[in-house]
Amino acid sequence: MEVNIKKLKRIYTISALIFCVVFFKCTSQKKTEYDIPSHVPPENRALLIERAEKGKVLYKLYCSGCHGIFTKGKDGIPNFTKVQIDNYHTAALIGLDPNNHAVAKKMSSQQIDYVITFLRLRKIN
Amino acid sequence: MKIFSVIAAILITFFCFSFSLQQKKEYNNLYSSSVDDLNKELNLLASTIQHTDMSGSAGREEIRELIKDSRLKMKRLDFWFRYFEPNVYRKINGPIPVEWENEVFEKFEPPYKREGAGLSLAEKYLDKEKITRDSLNALILASVKALDTFRADSITQQLDAPDHFFLANRLYLLNLAALYTTGFECPDTNHIIPELRSMMKDVKEIYSAFGATFPSKPLSSSYLSLYDQAIAFVNRQPFNFSSFDHYSFLKDYVNPLFRMNQDFVRSYSVVTKNYNDYTLNNDCNSIFDKSLYSPQNSKGIFSLIEDKELLDEIRQVGKMLYYDPILSGNNSRSCASCHIPTEYFTDTTQATAFQFDHQGHLPRNTPSLINVVFHHLVMLDGKHISLQDQAREVVHSPQEMNSDEKELVQKVMSCRDYKNAFKKFLRYTPEEKDVSLNHIVSAITYYYSGYSYYEAPFDDAMNNKKEISTSAKKGFNLFMSKAQCATCHFVPIFNGVSPPYISSEFEVIGVPEDTNYTKLSPDKGRYLINPAPETMNAFRTNTVRNSAHTRPYMHNGVFQTLDQVIELYDAGGGTGKKLVVSNQTLSPDSLKLSPAEKADLIAFLKSLDEDIIFELPPSSLPLSGNKELNKRKIGGEY
Repeated sequence: MEVNIKKLKRIYTISALIFCVVFFKCTSQKKTEYDIPSHVPPENRALLIERAEKGKVLYKLYCSGCHGIFTKGKDGIPNFTKVQIDNYHTAALIGLDPNNHAVAKKMSSQQIDYVITFLRLRKIN
Repeated sequence: MKIFSVIAAILITFFCFSFSLQQKKEYNNLYSSSVDDLNKELNLLASTIQHTDMSGSAGREEIRELIKDSRLKMKRLDFWFRYFEPNVYRKINGPIPVEWENEVFEKFEPPYKREGAGLSLAEKYLDKEKITRDSLNALILASVKALDTFRADSITQQLDAPDHFFLANRLYLLNLAALYTTGFECPDTNHIIPELRSMMKDVKEIYSAFGATFPSKPLSSSYLSLYDQAIAFVNRQPFNFSSFDHYSFLKDYVNPLFRMNQDFVRSYSVVTKNYNDYTLNNDCNSIFDKSLYSPQNSKGIFSLIEDKELLDEIRQVGKMLYYDPILSGNNSRSCASCHIPTEYFTDTTQATAFQFDHQGHLPRNTPSLINVVFHHLVMLDGKHISLQDQAREVVHSPQEMNSDEKELVQKVMSCRDYKNAFKKFLRYTPEEKDVSLNHIVSAITYYYSGYSYYEAPFDDAMNNKKEISTSAKKGFNLFMSKAQCATCHFVPIFNGVSPPYISSEFEVIGVPEDTNYTKLSPDKGRYLINPAPETMNAFRTNTVRNSAHTRPYMHNGVFQTLDQVIELYDAGGGTGKKLVVSNQTLSPDSLKLSPAEKADLIAFLKSLDEDIIFELPPSSLPLSGNKELNKRKIGGEY
């Protein structure tokens, strides 16, 4: 009887551990790494990353439905070219949106800046 | 028999094809032949300048006549040029030699310097004694060179599709309302109405050619018949632009034509690919509707929120904060201390407000916050690009509210009502982890911007809802002509934003330090932001709406009455009053306004007083956990 309880306990512990590991694996998403240009002074690096992180939240909510899903490990965001990002930035800032993105029209210039900073700085593997 | 039918089929196809090509060409041909005509005229002008003796008045007269002819050819192309490439067009029809552009597009970058050339400047300089043959010729040759741009494929291929036409036409109609009848780019005021007549007739030809080439997207017959009536109206009017009936022209012709053109833009699903008309709203049906062009973003950090109830909650919190002195370092000054909401959001009792320490005064007059959303650059020197940036600066400024950002947020969050509200709003700004000053200032800008959407009796008159007095109508006609107001205060907001409503203009008018005109106001204005010889003492052109309620006037609040303001302009600005202003953009000549004319102008200004419904101040302010803070007064102590 006692042995059985011990056995059961062990099974419980192991399954709980496995559950924890699986749960952790599923929910934790690899942190985005950023490529900060070398000319940015050290005191501004944290600020830029903070903005990019805000952009990431907005991107996830409003853009990734069509342009790349966030899953564990890698994200599936298309590798937009620099020219694509620059053109989009200009158009979105003045409210002239070439891609019919209603949400970009609604965003403030600061929010657009966050999203663009995220796309410009995120490290592409 | 079989061969015959095949040949016939081929012939018919060929015939149809060539016919459609022929049709397509009518519109394109009109464009290219007009460009050729202007080119010929400009070259003739350039060679005449080379071979004419400029010292005598006969030579100058000959050149003046040729400039006049060239201008008519240019005006024929204005319809297209101004829409396709307004910056290159400035080399053919530049109103002033150097302009510093401050467009919505460019406000994220330093201002661009744009040098004008062409016929308007040549005509203006012809009367100057020291003008040389070479410098005059250089202005014309710059135009010839600029004309090549308008032959480029990238521009002419736009003529192959109908979309651009309705957008160019929209800009043309807006300019009929705001520029063409005011002498904005026409130095000789005797030519304004003759040029207008010729231009309107030419545009009629453009309409016909367009109709022949693009029969699937026609201008309606009611549009064309109203346009014919507009031409007939202008032809009935006198040549003198000061006796021209600007009021009826706008109300009965231009504005209804604009509405019909907006119908075409919507029903033909016209799409813009142009970087010059992005602020214009396709859903707006009147030039005198505040939805005409996109204003400043008043929501700030709450931009993505659309729920009406939630927005109203944000507005209520914004109102509370607006009246709350908790925003200042010593908890005694609020936004409402200087921008008093029930007094058109300004302070009519002080020329310039007290500094924070009450030891001195701020350098500039407190501006009314009504209609600031319609300026693309905020502050009289255009220092800020958004309302939120401006609010943040005032809160920090040691001379104004002298607050520390961190302490301020803590103080606000120490009040339970604010805390609950902002915790709720925070859920709708997912990119932000904590409540920040951005949340606070965005609520404030959202609150006060709501007061910019009321209309004035003049708007109602233009929209055929109400009548205004004869004196106000006369005043408007003067405003648009003899008094030269409308060359800087543009229809419809009567501020420095001209069609296509993407830039904010700055002017130098020579405002004195005191009412005795002993010296020029030392405030450097725009120069502080963009140091250039042209920007010294320049200020952003403000709106004249509600001016009867927003005294004192000018950047330093030097004038107490509208009469004093009109007197400054009537005298020819600071220069006309014998002050030394090296770069005044206002003509130094007297306007020669009679007392009756001045009274009419004021009657018109009063018809621009908006019927604003003001709210009472809040009855109490949120209680704080810090008892010391609960002593603060609603609206603060000044």
